[in-house]
Amino acid sequence: MRPLTPRRLLLTCALLAGILLVVVFFSLKFGTRSISIYDLSALLFHSVTGRTDQISSDFRLIILDIRWPRILLAMIVGASLSVAGASFQALLRNPLADPYVLGVSSGAALGSILSLIWAAQLPGATPFGAFAGAIAATAAVYFLGRRGGELDSYALLLGGIITASFLSALIMFLMTTISGRELRGMAFWLMGDLSTPSPVAPGWLFLVLVLGVGAIYTTAADLNLLLGGEQEAMHLGVDVVRVKLVVYLGASVLTGLAVSVSGAIGYVGLLVPHLVRLLFGSDYRLLIPATALGGAIAVVLADTLARTLVSPTQLPVGAMTALVGAPVFIYLLRRGMA
Amino acid sequence: MKLAAAWVLLGALAVRAQATPPAPPPKDADPNVEFHDDLGRLVRIPFAPQRIVSLAPNLTETVFALDLGARLFGVTDFCDYPPEARTRARVGGPINPNLEEIVTLHPDVVLATRALNRAETVEALNRLGIPVYTTNPRTVEDVVASVRRLGEVLGAKARGDALAAQMEQRLTDLARKLGGRPVRRVFFVVWLDPVISTGPNTFIADALRHAGAESVVNVKQDWPQINLEEVLRQNPDYLVFAGAHQDDPQGTINSLKNRPGWSSLEAVRLRHFAIVSDALDRPAPRMLDAIEDLARQLHPEAFAPAAAPSSTPAAPRRGSR
Repeated sequence: MRPLTPRRLLLTCALLAGILLVVVFFSLKFGTRSISIYDLSALLFHSVTGRTDQISSDFRLIILDIRWPRILLAMIVGASLSVAGASFQALLRNPLADPYVLGVSSGAALGSILSLIWAAQLPGATPFGAFAGAIAATAAVYFLGRRGGELDSYALLLGGIITASFLSALIMFLMTTISGRELRGMAFWLMGDLSTPSPVAPGWLFLVLVLGVGAIYTTAADLNLLLGGEQEAMHLGVDVVRVKLVVYLGASVLTGLAVSVSGAIGYVGLLVPHLVRLLFGSDYRLLIPATALGGAIAVVLADTLARTLVSPTQLPVGAMTALVGAPVFIYLLRRGMA
Repeated sequence: MKLAAAWVLLGALAVRAQATPPAPPPKDADPNVEFHDDLGRLVRIPFAPQRIVSLAPNLTETVFALDLGARLFGVTDFCDYPPEARTRARVGGPINPNLEEIVTLHPDVVLATRALNRAETVEALNRLGIPVYTTNPRTVEDVVASVRRLGEVLGAKARGDALAAQMEQRLTDLARKLGGRPVRRVFFVVWLDPVISTGPNTFIADALRHAGAESVVNVKQDWPQINLEEVLRQNPDYLVFAGAHQDDPQGTINSLKNRPGWSSLEAVRLRHFAIVSDALDRPAPRMLDAIEDLARQLHPEAFAPAAAPSSTPAAPRRGSR
């Protein structure tokens, strides 16, 4: 792979951002009522110039109040999950790692179930419960993963997997013993679903996304060295303890952010980083921004399919990510090997 | 003053509605009325809403029963009764309805039920400026009250009152017929593999009580998975099957005598089975048909023409092993 230059970094990101824009445009176009490209362009032009009175109220409601917030959410979730996945793959030096491997999503699921049991009628109870659960699981796994005062990749991986399966057992216990009335939405949550708008303003979600990705990006050059082995990285002057801590916390917060608003959308965090590696190389300075954009593209695409394929019925987006992601991945993997 | 005049006018209209079909809202006054729904939320909707969207099968049935089917513009994928409901625009499933589809139908009011719909859906619709009236009937009596209330909310008060009174009358008649009869101890089979029944707080449990039966299952969950041992220990008088949950209830019943465990149940040996339609679990007027039908199967002697109360009732032996 060619060495990374600022020019290549910018070009790659611009390319992906362009693809993202096109995908978002078509995602805005398709839905229950398909809207013509001309009308959509006019609508976007008027809403950008602030002349919303020029838009028919039906289109405004559907495009600006239903589709756009959902697409925004899909982009934030996709970027969070993919960057978290890429980070965990580096931190654990394990290509099978995904954002959920260390139990963050199980903690979030438990948190949202508990919030449904105790505070179902409060608006926003589920996302806050889920985020609290994700943070709690992150803290628990952090203490399990410490060995000699620092995070140990193997202890972290094993501690995380054990925590995840223990929490899953608790979830199964709660779901079978607690009266089913409040847990109806839970099945959708566990599959990953973007159909209900987030009660938290997208601005806040975006802020957390930028902070999380930014924190991880500060360690990008160190992560490249870390992939060669911890000892080697340490000899090259990398503060391994700090890097691992920043990456662990950053990736956990990003995962918590994603699952608290959309549930556990599978495969994105595993597949997108690998796809980006196959296409653009594994330099983390490029991988992190490219993965964020790629994840946004993937989830917006998957959610567009999920809500249009059998319209008006909507599929959980988690089903689409796996259905579309796996074959694409296999194709690229086989092509890369040939 | 203007507002007071509007209310007087509305009151007059409501009185008029008793005698005639719902009148269109007055053009010059505030056409909106406010109601508290079953969750205590204040819902502001036009008087006699002309465009209704229903997010649950039982609500769809109720709207048709109130003779307001012509104003129902959207239903869920699961709204299969009356057959005419199938001709309405579909807005997806009750748990994740398609907001876009609902918006394009321009509803004056969306009807939801706590048992089937999610609070998030109601919130999302409210944010889009669409009023949602949520019902939450938990017992058979609640359903009667809910029918009366929906009649009022949808501007068909006279029809709602008449329908509710008719339902009350049928319940009273049924209670009189079943008075003094032994309460049948039944096991309600929601699912056979694994064995799933209903808890005492479900709508079905209350419907069973009205049909002169009680469930032998007494656990807190609504849809508990039951150990077959427990079924044998309880030795129910009857097994009740929900017709809609089985492809072939009769075939399932016939297979029971060959199933280990089930075959030694007294109810299976005596062929004490009842099959009810899924209307039993739909809090709508039609549920009375299902309750009466179940009562007829569990207490045939109470419905025999000119039943002589002295004739020996064919009550199953209880607890004899």
